[in-house]
Amino acid sequence: MGEGLTPQAERPERAAKVIKKASFFMIELYKISKTVQSGAERLTILHELDMKIPDGQFVAVVGPSGSGKSTLLGLVAGLDAPTSGRVLIDSEDITRMGEDALAVLRGRKVGIVFQAFHLIPSMTALENILAPLEIRGARGARERARQLLADVELTERAHHYPSQLSGGEQQRVAVARAFANDPSILLADEPTGNLDSRNGRHVFDLMVEMNRRRGATLVLVTHDAELAARADRRVSLRDGRVVADELMGGPSSAHDVRDEELEAARP
Amino acid sequence: MNFIIQLAWRELRSSWRRLLFFFVCIGVGVGSVVALRSMIQNLNRAVAGEARALMTADAQVETTREWDAEALAKIERVARPPLVLARAETVEAPTMLRPADESKEGALMVELKGIEKPFPLYGEFRLADGRAFDYSLVESDGAVVAPLLLERLALKVGDRVKIGEKVFEIRGVTRDEPGSGGGFRLGPRVFVERKSLEAAGLTGFGSRARRKILFKTSEDGAGELVRRLRAELGNNIYGVRSYKDSQESLGEQFARAENYLSLTGLVVLVLGGIGVSSVTRVFVEQRKKSIAILKCVGATGSRLTAAYLAQVILLGVAGSLLGVLLARAALLFVQSRFAESLPRNLSYDLQAGAAAQGLGLGLLISVLFAALPLLRVGRIKPNMLLRESEDAARGFRFDPLRWGVAVCVLAGVAFLASWQAGSVRVGLFFLGGLGVAAGLLYAAAWALVFLLKRARAFGPFTVRQAVNSMHRPGNQTRVILLAVGLGAFLVIAVQSLQANLLEEIDVTRRGSLPSMYLIDVQKDQVEGVRELVAGETGLTAELLPTVRARIVKVNGRDIDLDAVEMRRERGRLGREYVTTYRPRLEANETVVAGEFWDETPSAEAEVSIEEALRGTAGLDVGGTITFDIQGRKITARVTSVRRVDWRNSRTGFLVLFRPGALDNAPQTFVGALDGLTDVTRRARFERALVDRFPNVSVIDVADIVQSVGRILSNITLAVSFIGGFVLLSGTLILVGSIAMTKFQRIYEAAVLKTLGASRRTLLGILLAEYALLGLVAGLVGAAAATGLSYAVSRYVFEIDWSFMPGIGLAGIFLTVLLVCLVGALSSLDVLTRKPLAILRSG
Repeated sequence: MGEGLTPQAERPERAAKVIKKASFFMIELYKISKTVQSGAERLTILHELDMKIPDGQFVAVVGPSGSGKSTLLGLVAGLDAPTSGRVLIDSEDITRMGEDALAVLRGRKVGIVFQAFHLIPSMTALENILAPLEIRGARGARERARQLLADVELTERAHHYPSQLSGGEQQRVAVARAFANDPSILLADEPTGNLDSRNGRHVFDLMVEMNRRRGATLVLVTHDAELAARADRRVSLRDGRVVADELMGGPSSAHDVRDEELEAARP
Repeated sequence: MNFIIQLAWRELRSSWRRLLFFFVCIGVGVGSVVALRSMIQNLNRAVAGEARALMTADAQVETTREWDAEALAKIERVARPPLVLARAETVEAPTMLRPADESKEGALMVELKGIEKPFPLYGEFRLADGRAFDYSLVESDGAVVAPLLLERLALKVGDRVKIGEKVFEIRGVTRDEPGSGGGFRLGPRVFVERKSLEAAGLTGFGSRARRKILFKTSEDGAGELVRRLRAELGNNIYGVRSYKDSQESLGEQFARAENYLSLTGLVVLVLGGIGVSSVTRVFVEQRKKSIAILKCVGATGSRLTAAYLAQVILLGVAGSLLGVLLARAALLFVQSRFAESLPRNLSYDLQAGAAAQGLGLGLLISVLFAALPLLRVGRIKPNMLLRESEDAARGFRFDPLRWGVAVCVLAGVAFLASWQAGSVRVGLFFLGGLGVAAGLLYAAAWALVFLLKRARAFGPFTVRQAVNSMHRPGNQTRVILLAVGLGAFLVIAVQSLQANLLEEIDVTRRGSLPSMYLIDVQKDQVEGVRELVAGETGLTAELLPTVRARIVKVNGRDIDLDAVEMRRERGRLGREYVTTYRPRLEANETVVAGEFWDETPSAEAEVSIEEALRGTAGLDVGGTITFDIQGRKITARVTSVRRVDWRNSRTGFLVLFRPGALDNAPQTFVGALDGLTDVTRRARFERALVDRFPNVSVIDVADIVQSVGRILSNITLAVSFIGGFVLLSGTLILVGSIAMTKFQRIYEAAVLKTLGASRRTLLGILLAEYALLGLVAGLVGAAAATGLSYAVSRYVFEIDWSFMPGIGLAGIFLTVLLVCLVGALSSLDVLTRKPLAILRSG
């Protein structure tokens, strides 16, 4: 692990926030549904789904393909709007936000890692990490980007273009980019899906470790049971409905959220 | 801001080569605007700046009459020191010259100029051997002649020539002649002493001599002199002008020429704009994913749009700068190729104003044409990163922003066109014309794609595949058709117009133009000339009387050319009219109003005017015109209005008198001779005629047609040059459009190769596609060009128009060839790439 990692101890405000906030849930979904027009028929991908994720929790969303996992992630990231229902991020209702406001929100609070890496081909590894920092207009962007690059063990690859990097390296750059603005929420959509198991394991370890030290809320979409087993909580989807929602209990669990508590928090 | 610049920089770094290629189109357009404007501005400076040298004076009084004592006395009263420092009188007359040596053949019409000391008051007068002109060369019957005369009559310095009955000795050959504007001339210039010219008896009764008194004035005295002379002389019979007047009118003409020419440059620029629009669209399409990613990490649509706009601006500026360099190169080319036929003091520098205008135009066109495709940046949904294939069905949806921007773009282009034309009306017409042409091509492209969709099941495999490629998603069919079609349209239109003009003036094919005109035949020479013509050539010459007249009153009112309401009609009222009298209408005349006289002569003056004069100063049937004929005033009643079919005429008269009133007025006769085509017979006849009637002039129509043809071919060259620019930018767009869709082609080709297609088959598919595109572009271009050449021939030049399928077919063929060639060359790697690597990465 690179020495550039910011330990949680240096960031006491994160821990304090949990107590001071009106709600200690980072992500709240109320009766969200998503319907799309597919040819002549309407296809419902999510059925009035409710979910609350407390700050700092590591949630794995599992389910067969077509169960609505990625759609759910897209709605949380504000990449798409639900057909009905409300999405709250850090107690802020994003359902009616405009495109641009959502982009700004993502820049401040949300980091995303995609299955297909999605690096910008015309930028070097370093520049890809720099992009979100520059968009926000952060000071000392270059130093921070270099540090993040060191965190993912790619210092010597700084000036390589994505096409010159292996898949594993590309995904590590993507992970570093997702952490660039110190997001409160990290969303990962099958981050190891396009990698072989060795590289996949390495990327996943890096991501989880970096997140553990920062204490961000992590939502991981996967169908890899082994990866899901390392989460605090596992939500299983099938045909757009939650079929199981279980707390895993384990060393990395930050909060012990019980079903009753979740129930009580509903309006 | 920082992010916008950073992003623009990073994007450009990786793809500037491909993008700049398109902005070369802008460069070509900017180059043609800057080059044309600089050239005309330089010409204006060289010519109008030399207005004093052209007039060879500060001010002049000009008349086609002999000076009468009264007028001379008036001039004497005004033109004296300190206002006037020097003066010189000149006489110019077109007349016939022949070698004094009886054994030499031939006679030639020359532009004779009689001068006196201290001519020239301004301007350089230099001889071929480098010496400055010396007045002693013309004293006591000497002549200084233009080189062309020696060439045409095989004479040399020291030979003697006859003008009228007087003999002159050639003592020098001119190199730089003062007051030569390079305008159209009936023959080479010959300088003699004014006294000798008067003595030759050529400037007498009814001759077409033009007399001038040139003045050198004190500093800034020219305006004052002109004002006072006008007040003394009135301004109908004596033309008074200062060099500043001609400077102004030249300046106006040049400004108009400059504006019209830069409109053609704008056509090239607009084509470039179409290229830019297409590249921006494809570029944004290709960057869709990067844009979505940036939106995921927090960039807003407006900032991203700004970043891409910054790129367009950067490339637009780069392209425009390239255009300025191109313009410089073009001017150097003109200098090396045409310097001989252009004024000696012409500069070939770029004009800063023109360059600035070019840069502004290039930038504005880039931004205007990129605006619509750039709107898409804001519309790209970041969600596409999660669901690759989810491309929402894009139906027609009313989008106020898009329409608003479209209206702004249109208004912007209209503004640019009006700015360049210097007139809103012309600018809008230009835009309309361009719109119609583009609309036609676009409709043709649409129809083609529509038909092809239905026709794709027919024909061999290669053709079916070619047809498929033309309506593949993201195809460039419309853009290619538009660019190449417009280029073909302009080039074919220019060619067919030129062909029609050349045919019009080709005497050998058109019977109505005679081969020769005889002018200045005196009344008592008519019978003699008839006999001589019959004896020498066996032809009959029909001689018409002509009377020169100026209009001094209309409906009893004096003509005051300075009055505001007369200003616009100055050209029609101030000129001298050549009139005739005859009892009947010609075959090419029809009466449109009033009644034509019967065949009996009438002592009371009656005229029939041509339609063109009707309405001038309120002139119509029943009105009166007072003419001044060599000082005698005659008031005539307008009894009819005629229409003359100028295209079928050898002579046409705007004013026609009823026989009777003018029978004894000062008059000369003109005649036309047909069918004298043989060169040696013609020379012998001219010699015989001039020997016997030295005052009679012969205008050789073949000579004139030749020099008009030369001027015409120079104009054609210039216009074809611009057409070439248009074609060039069309080709650039073609190459670029092909490059833009190449990645699709390469993928398709790879798949086809795995299915067993040979490279030969793939080449066949490519060629079939481009041949089809070229064919449609050529067809539409040729059809539009035919329409344009018809309209311009009939309504602008007023000449007969004939359909020339050869030019259109050649144009279509060359378009197909060009498109196939360019298409095949820019797609070579589609054929050569190995399929496996492509399929893996695809």
